Amino acid sequence: MISVNPTKSTTDKLDLENLSPEQTALSIKNLDLFYGEDQALYDVSMHVPKNRVTAFIGPSGCGKSTLLRCINRMNDLVEICKVQGDIELHGKNIYDKDVDVAALRRRIGMVFQRPNPFPKSIYENVVYGLRLQGVKDRRVLDEAVETSLRGAALWDEVKDRLNASAFSLSGGQQQRLVIARSIAIEPEILLLDEPTSALDPISTLTIEELITDLKKKFTVVIVTHNMQQAARVSDQTAFLYMGKLIEYADTDTLFTTPSEKQTEDYITGRYG
Amino acid sequence: MKKWFNTGKPWIWLTAGSVSVSLIAVIGLVLMIGWRGLSFFWPSAIHQMTVQQVNGETAELIGEVYDSESVPTTRLNAETIKLGNIESEMVTRYLMKIGNREYVPLDFTWVLESLIVEDKTPADMAVIERTKDGNFYGKIMAITEKGEVIARHTDDNFRQVMFDRVERAVELNDQAMDLQEGEISAINYQLSQLNLERRRLELENALTDEAVADLQRQREQLQAEYQVYEEQLFELREKAKKNSLLVRDFRGEEVTVPMYRVLDVNFPNDMGFFAKTGHFFQQIGKFVSEDPREANTEGGVFPAIFGTVFMVLLMSVIVTPFGVIAAVYLHEYAGKNSVTKLIRIAVINLAGVPSIVYGVFGLGFFVYMVGGSLDQIFYPEALPNPTFGTPGVLWSAVTLAILTLPVVIVSTEEGLSRIPSSLREGSLSLGATKWETIWRIIIPMASPAIMTGLILAVARAAGEVAPLMLVGVVKAAPMLPVDGNFPYFHLDRKFMHLGFHIYDVGFQSPNVEAARPLVYATSFLLITVIVGLNLTAIGVRNHLREKYRSLEQ
Repeated sequence: MISVNPTKSTTDKLDLENLSPEQTALSIKNLDLFYGEDQALYDVSMHVPKNRVTAFIGPSGCGKSTLLRCINRMNDLVEICKVQGDIELHGKNIYDKDVDVAALRRRIGMVFQRPNPFPKSIYENVVYGLRLQGVKDRRVLDEAVETSLRGAALWDEVKDRLNASAFSLSGGQQQRLVIARSIAIEPEILLLDEPTSALDPISTLTIEELITDLKKKFTVVIVTHNMQQAARVSDQTAFLYMGKLIEYADTDTLFTTPSEKQTEDYITGRYG
Repeated sequence: MKKWFNTGKPWIWLTAGSVSVSLIAVIGLVLMIGWRGLSFFWPSAIHQMTVQQVNGETAELIGEVYDSESVPTTRLNAETIKLGNIESEMVTRYLMKIGNREYVPLDFTWVLESLIVEDKTPADMAVIERTKDGNFYGKIMAITEKGEVIARHTDDNFRQVMFDRVERAVELNDQAMDLQEGEISAINYQLSQLNLERRRLELENALTDEAVADLQRQREQLQAEYQVYEEQLFELREKAKKNSLLVRDFRGEEVTVPMYRVLDVNFPNDMGFFAKTGHFFQQIGKFVSEDPREANTEGGVFPAIFGTVFMVLLMSVIVTPFGVIAAVYLHEYAGKNSVTKLIRIAVINLAGVPSIVYGVFGLGFFVYMVGGSLDQIFYPEALPNPTFGTPGVLWSAVTLAILTLPVVIVSTEEGLSRIPSSLREGSLSLGATKWETIWRIIIPMASPAIMTGLILAVARAAGEVAPLMLVGVVKAAPMLPVDGNFPYFHLDRKFMHLGFHIYDVGFQSPNVEAARPLVYATSFLLITVIVGLNLTAIGVRNHLREKYRSLEQ
């Protein structure tokens, strides 16, 4: 059994089946997803609560990253990908025809597996999203850079070299820069797709601490293949297996008293 | 033996060998062209030879030894053999440049070594470079002013006096030239613009008496200015004509060489190594900075250098945006289907079309159709004289842009496909649209690849001659495509090009022997210009690569 981090700030347990609209950041309803002929997600339904960290776990190829990428429509880039069902953000299906995808992605940010800073300075990386929105005021930009870098726990390390290339940073710093870049445009939801899988243990620790901080301002959804990580950082965890949502519960509950046999097999390391 | 083959060593030798052969070929080519081209500028000794003639007499020759070769005795006629007591099978003969074109039918002559009675290189033999009729070889006897001798070669400071006078004459000529090409040509340009203005008003039925009077007033004003400048010009010319050189030529006669035609006087036999080196660089400087003379067989090639570089830059400015935009569409927007594939194959194959075909296309489409239409719409006042409806530097640049478009498209596409998808996703996830992602992330990151395409395009375009002959290049352009007259860039003008210059000098020249070294020198210069353009582009590319080097990770 995996022990749940006792230092993690204890949050009230929520009734995940019946969240009030104020508590809900996002609702996924009967989501099916196909890559051409192959179905990758089967009838996934869940509510993601606000200002909490939700983790998706499961073995490789279970569809957890696919599900995450549905939330900000990154799957649109895959031509053969087809989505059925709803993902509702404030009651509005994000797959409706009249949705502005770019605007949607401004509200739902994403951080990827490998750090992907742009070939620009640290400063320009952080303000990229703001510049897209047409912000030109230098004071606003400067302020956003400081706030975001502080928010991503990077400010103290880079404040003297904001104009240095983003590539001069270490892998862990780059990943925090990417997080800073995402929170600079103040999204509602931050999607993290295995954000520490390419990093060393110390950087991983820094980022995990950061995630716990981030939920004060944002709703965080994290995909991880590392169960300890899910246990450490998340408030509730969803276990996916073969494209199906097997179990979705409070992290404590899921890791200590899973109700499904498959979940138990997975978290005790029988497969995966 | 088999074992040796299995070690893979023969393979290493084979690959290294082919690299060596390529290297030797390239270095050999550059060295050969460089040597033959540059040695032309090195001052060679002036020989004064006494040569036996068939009729029993002897004749004197003064000139430079240009070349030597061995010829079999069987090719000589019997009398010559008898005269020279030639017994060996091969005999050496020299090609002499004897200059003095107005007094001899050919300024080059062959001299058999065995017929030379005496060969001297006197220190006071002079080479006189002239604006007309080429070099004059001889011994300078005196300087005259208005027919009166003012200095003789026996005087102590004769050379000093002579150099001063030559310098003064050259300066006066330069002033006259500046006046002619500057102020006077500007006035001529304005006068022709006035004529066009009048014609335009006439076509628009707006030619009122007032306008006519106004034009007439402007014309008179310009003509008055012209009169002043013309007087200055004549005055300068008159001054330059004052002095002459008295030179004893190879026949022993004293000939008058008017100073206003003299560009430079040298005494190569009297020069030390450093003087010769100085002269060498001076000659190279003149070659790259002066206008050609005497049907391109003498003088410099500046207009050709300028034309080549200008045309290539203009082409780059045209081809880069087009190529990049096309590549972006093909790679980013076009559906990944068989039509796109077909288009891509067609584009790649365009690179294989012979360049002369592009020339024909350029002439038919750009010059006659596009240019002709432009003339009717924008320049009706100049008709029937074409403005853009005739070959010119713009159409040359556009034709070569089409020719090099495939190269730019292909390498840009390669660059686009090398950009990791994670960067696109990173940009999109921040709320950027696809266009914003392409503009802000993709194109900057593909810029090294774009530069590679441009480098290949420049290399190809700068060496291309055949299509240019149809769409804008000429043997001698009276004016550069850029000058001080508004609008400064005259893209309708014809231009000179180093590649075409080589062809013209080498194959169309009336004086083959005189032209040959120029062919080498111009070729060497063309290589230098292309290498220079490429190095600039490579420098820019390396800078960009350094900036975006995460790509290679």
